[in-house]
Amino acid sequence: MIGKPEWFTRRKWAGWGLFPATWQGWVYMVILLTAIFGTQFIPADEKTRMIALGIVAAILILDTIDIMMRMKKDERETMHEAIAERNALWVIIFVLVAGVAYQAARNVVLYGNFTIDPVILIALFAGLIAKAATNIYLDKKN
Amino acid sequence: METRIAELRKKNGITQEELARKVDVARQTIISLEQNRYNPSLLLAHRITNALEQKHIEDVFLLE
Repeated sequence: MIGKPEWFTRRKWAGWGLFPATWQGWVYMVILLTAIFGTQFIPADEKTRMIALGIVAAILILDTIDIMMRMKKDERETMHEAIAERNALWVIIFVLVAGVAYQAARNVVLYGNFTIDPVILIALFAGLIAKAATNIYLDKKN
Repeated sequence: METRIAELRKKNGITQEELARKVDVARQTIISLEQNRYNPSLLLAHRITNALEQKHIEDVFLLE
């Protein structure tokens, strides 16, 4: 789309996404961040500014995904990334499950009803589906 | 697994960077291979063997 994979490096130590590796990457980041903040200074009503912000943010997200998909990784880097992502996912799942258990216990004790945040359950269920789909695909592929 | 990558690479007069480019991996992967810290796939082992102008994988990778 806009950015080139060789301008960036994969974020390893601080979250997910990309980090500029060349001056072109920094220029790209500065331009897009300026565009994001710039939407708030458009001489228009709040709704128009929010729409403009949404468009610029969507471009940034889609372009980041595109760059990451085109980024070249060798087999060792791919393996390292997969293990790091798996470990991160396990921690996320543990925290979500602990959160659900805490919510449920708290609501039962305080209010006498078993209610939990459905978003957490949906997230866990979506992860379950993604894992199953990946295993089906990989089993068929090799 | 032990490798003779560093020895053969020096014999052929190529740098880690050049070997990495030839076999399409990062230089860090060549460093890990030379230090016996990473076991490559069969495909990569073949590519490295060819790049180092050896006939057999066993000439480069030694199973301990």
